Amino acid sequence: MLSYILRRIVATLPVMAIVALFVFSLLYIAPGDPAVVIAGDQASPEDVERIRQSLGLDRPFLVQFGSWVWRILHGDLGTSIFTNLPVSAMIGQRLGPTLSLMIVTLLLTIVVAVPLGVVAAWKAGSLIDRVIMGFAVFGFSLPVFVVGYMLAYIFALELEWLPVQGYTPLTQGFWPWLENLILPAIALGCVYIALVARITRAAMLEVLQQDYIRTAKAKGLGQGGILFIHALKNAAVPIVTVIGIGIALLIGGAVVTESVFAIPGLGRLTIDAILRRDYPVIQGIVLLFSFVYVLVNLMIDVTYTLVDPRIRY
Amino acid sequence: MDRRTVLKGLAGAGGLALTGGLSAPAIAQGAAARTLRFVPQANLANFDPIWGTQYVVRNAAAMVWDTLYGIDSSFQPQRQMVESEEVTDDGTTWTFKLRSGLKFHDGAPVLSKDVVASLTRWAARDPMGLMIKALQQELTAVDDRTFKWVLKQPYPKMLYALGKNNSPCAFIMPERIAQTDPFKQISEYVGSGPLKFAKSEWVPGAKAVFEKFTDYVPRQEKPSWLAGGKQVMVDRVEWVIMPDPATAAAALQNGEIDWWENPIADLVPVLKKNKNISVDIGDPLGNIGSFRMNFLYPPFNDVKARRAVLMALSQEDYMRAIVGDDNSLWKPLPGYFTPDTPLYTEVGGEILKGKRDLDAAKKLLAESGYSGQPVTCLVAQDQPITKAMGDVTADLLKKLGMNVDFVATDWGTVGSRRAQKTPPGQGGWNMFHTWHAGADCVNPAPYTAIRANGDKAWFGWPTSAGTEKEVTSWFEAKNLDEEKAAIGRLNKAAIDDVVYAPTGFFLSYTAWRKNVSGVTKGPLPLFWGVSKSA
Repeated sequence: MLSYILRRIVATLPVMAIVALFVFSLLYIAPGDPAVVIAGDQASPEDVERIRQSLGLDRPFLVQFGSWVWRILHGDLGTSIFTNLPVSAMIGQRLGPTLSLMIVTLLLTIVVAVPLGVVAAWKAGSLIDRVIMGFAVFGFSLPVFVVGYMLAYIFALELEWLPVQGYTPLTQGFWPWLENLILPAIALGCVYIALVARITRAAMLEVLQQDYIRTAKAKGLGQGGILFIHALKNAAVPIVTVIGIGIALLIGGAVVTESVFAIPGLGRLTIDAILRRDYPVIQGIVLLFSFVYVLVNLMIDVTYTLVDPRIRY
Repeated sequence: MDRRTVLKGLAGAGGLALTGGLSAPAIAQGAAARTLRFVPQANLANFDPIWGTQYVVRNAAAMVWDTLYGIDSSFQPQRQMVESEEVTDDGTTWTFKLRSGLKFHDGAPVLSKDVVASLTRWAARDPMGLMIKALQQELTAVDDRTFKWVLKQPYPKMLYALGKNNSPCAFIMPERIAQTDPFKQISEYVGSGPLKFAKSEWVPGAKAVFEKFTDYVPRQEKPSWLAGGKQVMVDRVEWVIMPDPATAAAALQNGEIDWWENPIADLVPVLKKNKNISVDIGDPLGNIGSFRMNFLYPPFNDVKARRAVLMALSQEDYMRAIVGDDNSLWKPLPGYFTPDTPLYTEVGGEILKGKRDLDAAKKLLAESGYSGQPVTCLVAQDQPITKAMGDVTADLLKKLGMNVDFVATDWGTVGSRRAQKTPPGQGGWNMFHTWHAGADCVNPAPYTAIRANGDKAWFGWPTSAGTEKEVTSWFEAKNLDEEKAAIGRLNKAAIDDVVYAPTGFFLSYTAWRKNVSGVTKGPLPLFWGVSKSA
């Protein structure tokens, strides 16, 4: 297993290299110029050109790319054109909020979506099933920002139960940390919950037709034990796959959610960097996201062995 | 590796990431009332007011760095860090003496050598500074508190240049910082103003913190814009960056922030209904909407085509698209200078007044020889103001019978593409939309957009000999009457040649919680004199 994991990690290197080349080339040919943004609206074209030169943006593509790759190989993601801060430090500042949001959303999804999917499968064709699947369609259909605004209006402005915006680090207490994440996690989790609930239902329906489930019922096992111990475990592989793939959804959704709830995470950093053409930051974040995605896929594969002992690498 | 080992490892890694590196200041409950939480107009992405001249940087810098002079609400430069000044009768030698007791935030005294280095860096980037630099014979420190600026010929607007609030302002920094190349960013933020920048708490795009500088010696005069006594009444000012206006509105209503610099017009009615919130015009100098036409290529290389557009455009259409139905937020602007300021004029502005004459405009356009070629119109969709104006312009051009190539893009792309002098079909353009802060349009000194010196002018590269002649007349004017006369002639010449198309004058609101007092109107948010009760 360990050698498998190591081989997979080594295999990520060419993937990362291709991503790096792709991202760098895309940004190079994309319109826009950070020097224009820095110089401000009143700046003369000469000032803009001087700033471009000082940033090294006037150098040929290969020189810029070579110098960037050289730095990456030395573990240096570069320095933000705008803030003059190391990209790694900026990512470090933003990692906590995004990671917190994703973890809370993930937990919320598992706690809500899996039981809903199980119950829907158990009561397939009934009113309960239809209601749950109706909610799933609703969750799919509502954009994150609409859910976000609705939640903020009801639970923050009207009921005054939770804050509208912001992020408090875990170091300042569990509840201050959690209260800032509840509404964003629900908003971000809606689509995810809908997706996982539907997949859970589909996977469970198949498993519930199996002979060993009938045997378990014949032996007089309780409904809960059959559903959540015997059936769910055997339906877990597709569910784990979807949860893992859904992390990409979360990364995308975090961009909107962090803007709506003013959470200082990587999503907002990404948008800010793109709008300003802060190339080193964009490149650093895309590399990070690519790495996370590759890593998540690896974790999914490893998790298969935990839920299904028949799978071995 | 078994299941338990994997799960323990994951839990450990997650916990570490959530708690590590996330330190943030713990503010005691009692200190909350001493902390003013402010939502600025934009993200503070860099903090060098000479290198980056965006207004949000200027606004933050005005807290951290002081200036030698400050422009007050009557547009007069008043002494700020300077105690006294002398100018020789021929107007070529200025000698300045600094106030005693001035300190930088690292405790070092503010000396003449710091001022000389700061002014040298500023003069390399600022339009007025560049003019002074061109006349400069020497700029030297005479002693620790005295410095001298010797010019080859008089520069009557010297004190205005040193105190103006247009970006870049002549902020005073320690010599070692001010010696940085003006085209490279500083990395140390040691200020001379009433608040210190807490670099360790800066999260670009999310938060910037400023702490009261207890050793700052304010002047005794009443504060007025950037002049007078800058008494800071709170311990901390926290800038909370909120990209989403609806979130900022909700946070203000919920008491999570104290002051929102520029609420969008759509949300103001909701804020006005809240009994805990005050809403008022923030910057009385407002903004001037504009679109610029490219003088280098047809059809707008012909003044008749430019005048045809001006003749047809309705400023009310543009302003309603920007501010909605609130009539207190806009004014028609038959000219180029900021309304309600000393040099405001409507001389020559008849073409922008009265009923719009589309037929006459079409006739004039035909006389220009326009024959249906595409007009490339750049519109930044990520800026609500330019998007609104762009939609109105597209409609206007179509009504005139023009073939519109509407390029909907983002501000970063417009900023880059507008600098292209290539023909419109080859990466260039015919027109783009923007707006100018009213503070930049009170006189020609900071007003880059009004200059019409062809290749050296701002984007669109307008040529208007009459305009340029009157800019020089204004700089040479010896009193307000002469200045007003020059500006009247300038306005007429600029409108005759259509240096750019003004789409109207608009204002915006600012909003704050009622437990905050001392918020005043000004060209930038002024934090001195602002206090907060629990």
